[in-house]
Amino acid sequence: MRKMITLLSTALLLQLAALSVQAAWEQPELGYQLTPLKTPIDAPTFKLNDMDEYEYDFSEYRGKVVLLNFWATWCPPCKREMPSMERVYQNHQGENFDVIAINQMEDGDRIFAFTGTLDTQPTFNILLDSNSAVSQTYDVRGLPTTYLIDKKGRIRYRAVGGREFDHPEVEKIIEALMKE
Amino acid sequence: MKPLKSLHRGFTYSFVAGLCLLHTPVHAAEVSVHKNEQSGLLTWTSEDDGFSIELIQLLPDFVRAVYAKHGFTHEEVERIAGYCVFGSILKNTSEQQLTYKVREWTYTDAQGKTLSVKTKSQWLAEWRKAGITFSWTLLPDDVVFEVGDWQQGFTTINLPRESHFDLHYTWTLDGVPHRGTLKDLSCAPETIEQP
Repeated sequence: MRKMITLLSTALLLQLAALSVQAAWEQPELGYQLTPLKTPIDAPTFKLNDMDEYEYDFSEYRGKVVLLNFWATWCPPCKREMPSMERVYQNHQGENFDVIAINQMEDGDRIFAFTGTLDTQPTFNILLDSNSAVSQTYDVRGLPTTYLIDKKGRIRYRAVGGREFDHPEVEKIIEALMKE
Repeated sequence: MKPLKSLHRGFTYSFVAGLCLLHTPVHAAEVSVHKNEQSGLLTWTSEDDGFSIELIQLLPDFVRAVYAKHGFTHEEVERIAGYCVFGSILKNTSEQQLTYKVREWTYTDAQGKTLSVKTKSQWLAEWRKAGITFSWTLLPDDVVFEVGDWQQGFTTINLPRESHFDLHYTWTLDGVPHRGTLKDLSCAPETIEQP
């Protein structure tokens, strides 16, 4: 019993340490620049489950412009850019646009707890890349990394690091891709 | 081979009324040291020639917490927490393509010995042998930044708590190599006494 209390206390202290330093890790301003790919490349297709274990097939998104984001709950810029992903998603409800956030190596319980801490609850699809296999096919080196994929399923833009995705310049790009 | 541009970034710091920010421009570079009033931890930021590097002291307990919650064994958690770990934020502040390779980075300890910075690839190779597949949190070690790109991750230096050292780092901007030194960085202590 005493051992369990010690273990729980240690876990709690470590969690508090993590929270206090995370709070102290001041974050840079988010930019809005997306890098156009000189030659668009086919976005690798995949099938992944969401938190309710419903399987999504990425090939079924053909015909839509997709903001595809790779993220994790422990990644501060991922958390910061998520509200702007929700806003841009809401701005284009009913249009040929979608947002998919692919979580890296975390379980549904942790993600569910994390989204509960956000001021803006994400309503777009969050899929689980439990072994990072999909991020590897997209050559993701760090989190967050985001791709903008056109209606033909080709990667057209890339962003490494957090962004404000509802910035007018990003909106302009999305609108242009939807009109193609 | 184009010559490397050598930049020496020195700094001094003092703290006035808690939170204090000093700017010490040396040559073209600007280095700032910031003490977080809440945590007592230090952050160094340098920006020059399109490259911004920021190193944030991290307490060993923070590092333990990060890796413990990703299922690392106690042994592996303690091994990385035994390093001098910094949160690092690297940014392309230019309007050109920027690259960096951590394997080219070195540090010089207080005894004048210069050693290589351990890369993410080296950590991952060791973790794979230990059966760990988790591959995030560490600073990616071979990166191409386009305009507006930036990255965040841990940088690990194999030195004891509170050690002082100089970090020598390199990057290329539109293919032109650059080099910088952050002088007299210090590793975080084991703990910080709360008031």
